[in-house]
Amino acid sequence: MRRLAILTLATVLTLSLTGAAFAQGTLRIGMTASDIPYTGGQTDNGFEGFRFVGYQIYEPLIAWDLSRGDRLAPLVPGLAESWEVRKDQPTKWVFKLRKGVTFHDGSPFNADAVVFSYESIKKKDAPHFDPYGSGQVSFRLASLTGIAKIDDHTVEFETNKPTSFVPYQICYMVIVSPAQWQKVKDWRKFAEQPSGTGPYRVTRFVPRERLELEANKTYWDAKRRPKIDKLVLLPMPEPTTRLAALRSGQVDWIEVPPPDSIPQLKGAGFQIVMNSYPHNWTHTLRLDKEPWSNKLVRKAANYAVDRVGICKNLLNDTCIPATGIVYKSHPWFGKPKEVYEYNPTKAKELLRQAGFDGGKHPAKAVHLISTSGSGQMLPLAMNELIQKNLKEVGIDVDLQPVEWNTLLTRWRAGFKTPDNEGLNAWNISWNFLEPWSGFGRFFHSKSVVPVSVNTMPYINPEADKLIDEAERTFDIARQNEILAKLHEVIVDDAPWIFVVHDLNPRALSGKVKGFVQPQSWFVDLTAVTVR
Amino acid sequence: MWAYAGRRLLLAVPTLLGASIIVFAMVHLAPGDPIAAVMPAESSQAEIEATKRAYGFDKPLPVQYLVWLGRVVRGDLGRSIATRRPVILDVRDSLANSLVLALSSSAVSFGLGIGLGLLAAFRQGRALDKVASAVAIVGVSVPHYWAGIILIIVFSVQLNWLPAMGAADGGGPLEYLRHMALPTVALSLIPLGVITRVVRSAALDILNQEFVLALRARGLAARRVFTHVVTNAAPQIFTVLGLQFGFQLGGSVLVEAVFSWPGTGYLLNLAIFQRDIPVLQGVILVLATFFVLLNLGVDLLQTLVDPRIARH
Amino acid sequence: MAIAGALPHDLEPVAGAPMSYWRTVGWRLAHDRMTLVAGTALTLIVLSAVLAPWLAPFDPDAGSIRLRLAPVGAPAHLLGTDEQGRDMLSRLLWGGRMTLVAALTPVLVGLGLGTGLGVLAGYVGGLTNTLVMRTMDIFYAFPAVLLAIAISGALGPGLANTLIALSIVFVPRVVRVAESATVQVKGLEYIAAARASGSGVGPILRHHLLANVLGPILVFASTQVSLSIILAAGLSFLGLGVTPPAAEWGLMLNTLRQSIYVNAVVPALPGLAIFVTSMAFNLLADGLRDAMEIRS
Repeated sequence: MRRLAILTLATVLTLSLTGAAFAQGTLRIGMTASDIPYTGGQTDNGFEGFRFVGYQIYEPLIAWDLSRGDRLAPLVPGLAESWEVRKDQPTKWVFKLRKGVTFHDGSPFNADAVVFSYESIKKKDAPHFDPYGSGQVSFRLASLTGIAKIDDHTVEFETNKPTSFVPYQICYMVIVSPAQWQKVKDWRKFAEQPSGTGPYRVTRFVPRERLELEANKTYWDAKRRPKIDKLVLLPMPEPTTRLAALRSGQVDWIEVPPPDSIPQLKGAGFQIVMNSYPHNWTHTLRLDKEPWSNKLVRKAANYAVDRVGICKNLLNDTCIPATGIVYKSHPWFGKPKEVYEYNPTKAKELLRQAGFDGGKHPAKAVHLISTSGSGQMLPLAMNELIQKNLKEVGIDVDLQPVEWNTLLTRWRAGFKTPDNEGLNAWNISWNFLEPWSGFGRFFHSKSVVPVSVNTMPYINPEADKLIDEAERTFDIARQNEILAKLHEVIVDDAPWIFVVHDLNPRALSGKVKGFVQPQSWFVDLTAVTVR
Repeated sequence: MWAYAGRRLLLAVPTLLGASIIVFAMVHLAPGDPIAAVMPAESSQAEIEATKRAYGFDKPLPVQYLVWLGRVVRGDLGRSIATRRPVILDVRDSLANSLVLALSSSAVSFGLGIGLGLLAAFRQGRALDKVASAVAIVGVSVPHYWAGIILIIVFSVQLNWLPAMGAADGGGPLEYLRHMALPTVALSLIPLGVITRVVRSAALDILNQEFVLALRARGLAARRVFTHVVTNAAPQIFTVLGLQFGFQLGGSVLVEAVFSWPGTGYLLNLAIFQRDIPVLQGVILVLATFFVLLNLGVDLLQTLVDPRIARH
Repeated sequence: MAIAGALPHDLEPVAGAPMSYWRTVGWRLAHDRMTLVAGTALTLIVLSAVLAPWLAPFDPDAGSIRLRLAPVGAPAHLLGTDEQGRDMLSRLLWGGRMTLVAALTPVLVGLGLGTGLGVLAGYVGGLTNTLVMRTMDIFYAFPAVLLAIAISGALGPGLANTLIALSIVFVPRVVRVAESATVQVKGLEYIAAARASGSGVGPILRHHLLANVLGPILVFASTQVSLSIILAAGLSFLGLGVTPPAAEWGLMLNTLRQSIYVNAVVPALPGLAIFVTSMAFNLLADGLRDAMEIRS
C-alpha cells in the first residue's frame, strides 16, 4: 500500500514536472535559409541570419527595440548602456558598457570582449581574426577604423570621418565570448559550441538540419527572459516544404508562406502575421543609356505599373504598393511631388513627350531578373505582370531570368562589363534599415561601381549634398528631415521603377501566442509562448 | 579468380583518377564565382576578392587540383565554404541517411520485384503476368519526383497521415519509419519496374529451355523446377540488383529534393545552389567511388556464381 | 550489360516468300497491339507538340493574374490555369515541344557519336579500344542521374547546358553497346571471311558490320528515350534545366508544386504528361526489341 502511494506520488510528481516543462513549450521555426546560419558570431544568410541566430545567441552594443509593431523599430541600448560622440573629436565615440552581464559560458562581458569581437572582424593579422565572419559583416562597419579600451566598462571607437551613422553600424556587430574562443581557438569549433550573451543559448547543432537553443535563464534583462524553454530552427528553402511542415505539425512557425496558401491557412486556423518593414522591390535602371536615360520615360514606367493589382491578385495582400524608396509612414518619406499611381494614360502621354512612340521610335529595354532569391518574392510572376503593364503603354521590356547568385555577381560588377553591356536594368530587392543602405550606397556619386554599388550611375550634386549633410547631422530628428528631402528629390528623378514593399508574411500555428510583428527585418522571440 | 579480381581492382584505379579529374574540371570550369553565393548581397567586389584569396581560389587550376587530390588521398576532402565543417563529416552524415533510404527502398523493390517477376514467369500470359508487366512498365516510366509529389498530396496534404518532409529527429523508431515511408516508396518505383522486368525475362528464358519444359511436362515437382530457375537466373539478377542499389544511392537526388531527406542527393543539390565547391567535389567523388566499388563487387560476385565470365 | 544473342534469326516466313529483315520487323510492329497503342499515343504527343502554335488556344506565356489556378474544366480553360493564370492546355502543348527537344536531342547525339566511337573501338581494337573504352568507363563510374545533375549543376541552368549534360550521359552508354556488338559481329565467320578475302575495310563496315550492329544500338537507344525524358524534365524540376518563363513539363511541375494545397489536380498534370510520354516510348522500345528479336 505504501509502495503504491509512493509510486502514485512519484507519477504525479513526474507528470506535473513534465507538465510544467511542457507548458513552457518549444517553438519550432521553418526558415527560408537553405542552411543553418553561421553560429560563430558574425552570421551569414543576410538578415534572416541576424533574425534567428545572430540576435538570439548574441547581442550588439546597440540593439533594436522589436517589442512593438506600431512604429519603425528604433535603436536602443543593448550591451552598451549609453554612447556619445566626443564633442572635441567627432571621429571618436565613447561607449559605456553594461555591467554584470555574463556570457553563456559564465565568463564576464567587458571591454575586452568588445575589443576581441571587433578585432575578429577588422584585424586581419590577429590570431582570433575570423575571415568568414568578417566577410559577412565588415562592409556594414565600413566607417569604423579602430577601437581602444578606456577601462573595463568603457570603449572608444574611431571612425574615418565624422559620421552620425555610427550607431547604424555598431548594431550589426555582435559580441562573442573571448573566453570560449580561447578554449577552442578555432572559429569552426566555436560555431559548434558558441557563446554569447543573448536570450537563447545553443544546445544542439546538427549541421544543415537543425539548430536547437534553450532559454538563457540568467539573461541580464529579466523582462526579456524567454517564456518558451526551447527554440528549434530548421532550414527549409522550399516554400512547399515549409508549408507541408507547418500543416503536418512538424513546425509551429514558417517564414514566407506561399501567398496562394494564405486563405487556406487562415481557414485551417493558422495565424498570418505581417507588417511593413524597410524592404523595397524595385527595378534599378541604367541611367546612361536609352531609354531610361530619359527622366520622362522613367516616370512613364512608374505610372504604368499596376501595383495594387500585383499585391491584390498575385500576392494576396502580402505587400503594399511602393511609390518611392521608403513607404508612406516612414520618417524619410517626406512629400514627394510625384505620387506614382496606376495611370496608363498619363504614362502614354509622358512617353509621347519624351519622343517615344510605338512605331518609329519604340522604347526598348532588357532587364535582368532572378528566378528566385531571398527577398525577391515571386520574381517571375511579378516581372511578367510588370512587363505586360509596360507593354500596354508602349515600353518593350525583354526579361532575362538568371539564377539569384548570378544576378548578384553580375550586378556587383556594374553595367559596363561585356556581359552586362546589353542590359538596361536589374531587379533586386533592397533593405533601407539605415541611411547608408537606403541611400548612400546607391545615390552618392562617390558610390559609383566599383567603390560601392551605385550601378546606374546616379549622379546628382543635390543628392550628394543632402547625403553628406545627413551624415554630418547627429540629431536624429533633423537627420530624418534631411533624408526626407533627399527622398523627395530621388522620387522625382525616378531612377528606379518603384514596385512594392513586402510585408514579411509569416504563418504561425494557433498554439503560438504573444508574438508581435515589428516594423523590422528582425524579431523578438522572448515574449512568445507555445501552448 | 584472384588474378581476375586483382586485375579488376587495378583497372578501377585509373577510372577513379579519371573520375576525380572530371569532377574537378566539372566544378571548376563552370562559370560563376566560387564564393559569391556565401557572401552577402551588399558586399563589394573588393571584399569578394579578399575572401577568394583566403580560400585559395586564386591559384591556377592544375595547382588547385593537385592540392585537392593530395588531400583527398589522405582522406581530407577540404572544408565546406558555407559551413566551414570538414566536407568528410558532411558527406559521412548524409551518406548514412542516403544508405538508410537506399536500403529500405531496396528491401521494398528487391522483395516485390523478385517476387513479382518470378510469379509472372511461372504464370506467363495469365492475369498475374499482366499485372507484373503493368507494374514493370509503370515503374520504369514514372518520373519518381512526380510520384513523390503525388504521394505528398495524397498522404500528407489530403489524409494527413504521414509527414511530408525531412528525417525524424527523436520520437523513436516509429516516428523514424513514418518519415521514411513516402521517400522509400517514391525511390523504389523505378528499381521495382526494372527488377520485375529482368527477373521475369531471366526466369522465362530458363523455363523455356527445352529440358526444363520436358521436366515440367513430366510433372517434376514444381519446387525443383523453381529451384533450378532461381539458381540459374541468379547471376543476371545479381547484376541488376547491384546496379539498382547503386541507382537508389546515387540517383536519389530528385527524391531527396522532393522530401528534403538529408542525404547525399540533398547535400549535392544544396551545394549546387550554394556553389559550395569543396562539398560539391566531395559528394560527387565519394558517390562515384562507391559506385565503382559496387560495380566491382557485383562483377566479382557474378564471377563467383558463374566462373565462365572471368574467362572473357 | 553485354548484348547476348544479338543477331536476328528465325524470321517469320510469310506467304511462302521470304521477307527482308526490316520488312519483317515492320510487319511485326504493325501487328503488335501494345506497340500500336503506344505508337498512336506517341504520334499524337509528337504531333501536338509540333503543332502547338496552331493547336494551343492561348499564348502559353500570357496569363491573367485574376484567373490563377483555375480548376480543370474551367470555362475557356479546359485543363485549368497555372499559378500565373496561364492556360495549362497551351502550356502543356508548348511544354511538350521543349521537353521532347531536351530529351530526344541527347539520345540522338549519343546515337551518332556513340555509334561512331563504339564501332571504331570495336573494329580497330588494340590501343584505340583501350583508350576509348577506359575513357567511357570513367563516365560510367557515375550513376546517370548523378552525372546529369552534377554536370548541369556545374554548368548552370539553360537548355544548352541540359543538352550537353544529357549527351555526356548517353554517349558512353551507346559506345558500350556499339563496341560490344561490333566485337561480336567481327568475330563471326562471314566477316572474318570477307576480311580474309581482301575486301576493303569500307565495304565490310558498310555491308556487314553496320547492318548487324545498328539493330542492337537502335533498340538500346530507344530504351534510353524514356530515361532521357525523365532526366531532362528532372533537371528542370530541380531548377537546373530550362529557365522560366519557358513552358517545359519539369519546370511547370516545379513551379506548380507550391500550389498543391490550393489545387491538387492542376499541379499533377505536367508530371502526368511526362509519365505518359515516357511510358509510350518504353512500350514502343519493347515492341521494337521484340520485333527485332534483340535481347537486352
